[in-house]
Amino acid sequence: MASVKLTNVKKVYDKKVVAVSDFNLEIADKEFVVFVGPSGCGKSTTLRMIAGLEEITDGTIEIDGVIVNDLQPKDRNIAMVFQNYALYPHMTVYDNIAFSLRIKKLPEDEIYNRVTHAAEVLGISEYLLRKPRALSGGQRQRVAIGRAMVRDSKVFLMDEPLSNLDAKLRNQMRAEIILLREQLDTTFVYVTHDQTEAMTLGDRIVIMKDGYVQQIGTPEEVFERPENLFVAEFIGAPKMNIMKTQLLYENGKYYVTPFDSKIEVDGETGELLKEKGYGSREVILGVRPEHIVLSENDAQNTISGTVMVNEMMGSELHLHIKTADDTKIIARTPTVNLCREERLQLKSGHPVHLTFPGKVMYFFDPETEKNLIY
Amino acid sequence: MKKKKTQLPELPPKAKQHMGMKARNAISNTLIHILLIVITIIWLVPFVCIILQSFRCESSYMVGYVIPKEWGFDNYIALFDTDFPKWYINTFITAVITALLQTVIVLCMSYTLSRFRFKGRKLLMRFMLILGMFPGMLTMIILYRVLKDIGMTEANAVPGLILVYIASSGMGYYVSKGFFDTIPKSLDEAARIDGATRLQILTKVILPLAKPIVIYTILTAFMAPWGDFVFARYVSMNVSSGMNVAVGLFSWLNKDMIDGRYTMFCAAGVLVALPVALLFIFLQKYYVEGVTGGAVKG
Repeated sequence: MASVKLTNVKKVYDKKVVAVSDFNLEIADKEFVVFVGPSGCGKSTTLRMIAGLEEITDGTIEIDGVIVNDLQPKDRNIAMVFQNYALYPHMTVYDNIAFSLRIKKLPEDEIYNRVTHAAEVLGISEYLLRKPRALSGGQRQRVAIGRAMVRDSKVFLMDEPLSNLDAKLRNQMRAEIILLREQLDTTFVYVTHDQTEAMTLGDRIVIMKDGYVQQIGTPEEVFERPENLFVAEFIGAPKMNIMKTQLLYENGKYYVTPFDSKIEVDGETGELLKEKGYGSREVILGVRPEHIVLSENDAQNTISGTVMVNEMMGSELHLHIKTADDTKIIARTPTVNLCREERLQLKSGHPVHLTFPGKVMYFFDPETEKNLIY
Repeated sequence: MKKKKTQLPELPPKAKQHMGMKARNAISNTLIHILLIVITIIWLVPFVCIILQSFRCESSYMVGYVIPKEWGFDNYIALFDTDFPKWYINTFITAVITALLQTVIVLCMSYTLSRFRFKGRKLLMRFMLILGMFPGMLTMIILYRVLKDIGMTEANAVPGLILVYIASSGMGYYVSKGFFDTIPKSLDEAARIDGATRLQILTKVILPLAKPIVIYTILTAFMAPWGDFVFARYVSMNVSSGMNVAVGLFSWLNKDMIDGRYTMFCAAGVLVALPVALLFIFLQKYYVEGVTGGAVKG
């Protein structure tokens, strides 16, 4: 249980390649922070710097108020779960979990108690005498978590722990990590490239790109108020539809004009635009797929297109729609709103009309790509 | 780019083709086996002859036949009245100590080169590669001089030889470094986070996983001093108590002595070959794994 503080942390490889720049973050005691971003964005490097596996080029990392820059990993009192589990192949599950405790020279009965307790919590008691080779991916991951659990460490680091599991198991383990977190009641730093994991697990999310932090915030904040275009596109699946368009200010009302339509920006969004005092200007308009509404008939506020692909997801349809000028728009439509006949109609080549609700639009500056409203 | 159309040859019916393959395989397998058997016989003949000669009791000089008329252990027993036991002990001590120390040095060196990134690492590896290309004989004169000055020649040849054998052992890191490279680094990292020191990582995580390569290293480190002749002869300088088996037995190979000791020579040869042969028979499995393990990830 500890707080972690990163101040101006920087990592440069071989004096050339900058992996992380200017990383500032304060992680409170018992907080669950997720680093998320595309591959190569520096999230794992940052985690490994906290662990002490990578040297820190510049800046400081503090754990519980102590600067740990020059401490070896073993002196930082952290636990880490690796993507490829990193279980010792020649040891049984029991010995794997007990390894760190034996290094600490704890008495054997104490070790026995801790290992069996962890195994019980994780549901791997019956496998304790097996070698990792004889376990499935999910079981191996549990052993890896068990190895980290028994150590009573201050900070729990996880480096893409679920990436090697299949989709179903990943969902299951995700739920278990949430439970585990409640039981352990310690500070977590979790790295993933999967925005769903980030959204569901994190108290706060750190979104990174090319070594720079793009935004730090709660899942609600990064979803509803993305600071820039990158965050807006990265968070949310399928990703947000982006189009360059004109924002018009006429008679005290705002309109956007994508694909020769004219849609009024109303509600909260319109008021926020007014507060900021924007006139007519070029903007990048962002609309989330789930906000797109299919409409029966052609009108001034609708956009016409044809369905290219219809992905049936069960509870909803993902429609890939091509507009007149070949731009692709993705719309998510809940299946409950459509009767069976309508659903069957929406196949490739079928013409549709759609509109964007004005109250849930995102606006970005075409040059800086910053969010214009927040 | 023009695409050339290649005409496919007409294929015979499937069943026929299958039969043809089977027959062809059988023929080539038989041929290969015959060839291998012939080679094995050619190889084994000298060894069998030496073993048979070592049990011959009726005469001690070279004869024109192979199978002894009188069998017995006389030759082996007679060896104990010569300097042979002393040579054998000399060789054994040299080989065992060299094997132990050299293995430790080679494994530490390989682990370091495989896991640590330090300044001059590449340069060091290249330097050792080039150094290894020079024949070791070049250094013999100067090494002899040094050993003589510190009193490690003639009767004291054993410590001198051990010193020389292990001095350059760090250079034999190639195979084991290659093997260590195939062990995922995340195991080291996990162990480091678990609180292990580098030495603990090496002994508790890496070495148990690299068992074949450890055995390979011990074997090769044992073999070199066991069979060394040139340098051992130079350092012992005709003093019998400083000789190893190869040098000692060679001293029997002259006109005056060989007639009386030919069968004893054969018996000594068998005794020298015995430990190495036994080691290989028991550790062969690991040896093959160790030699090939570096290249192909197991």
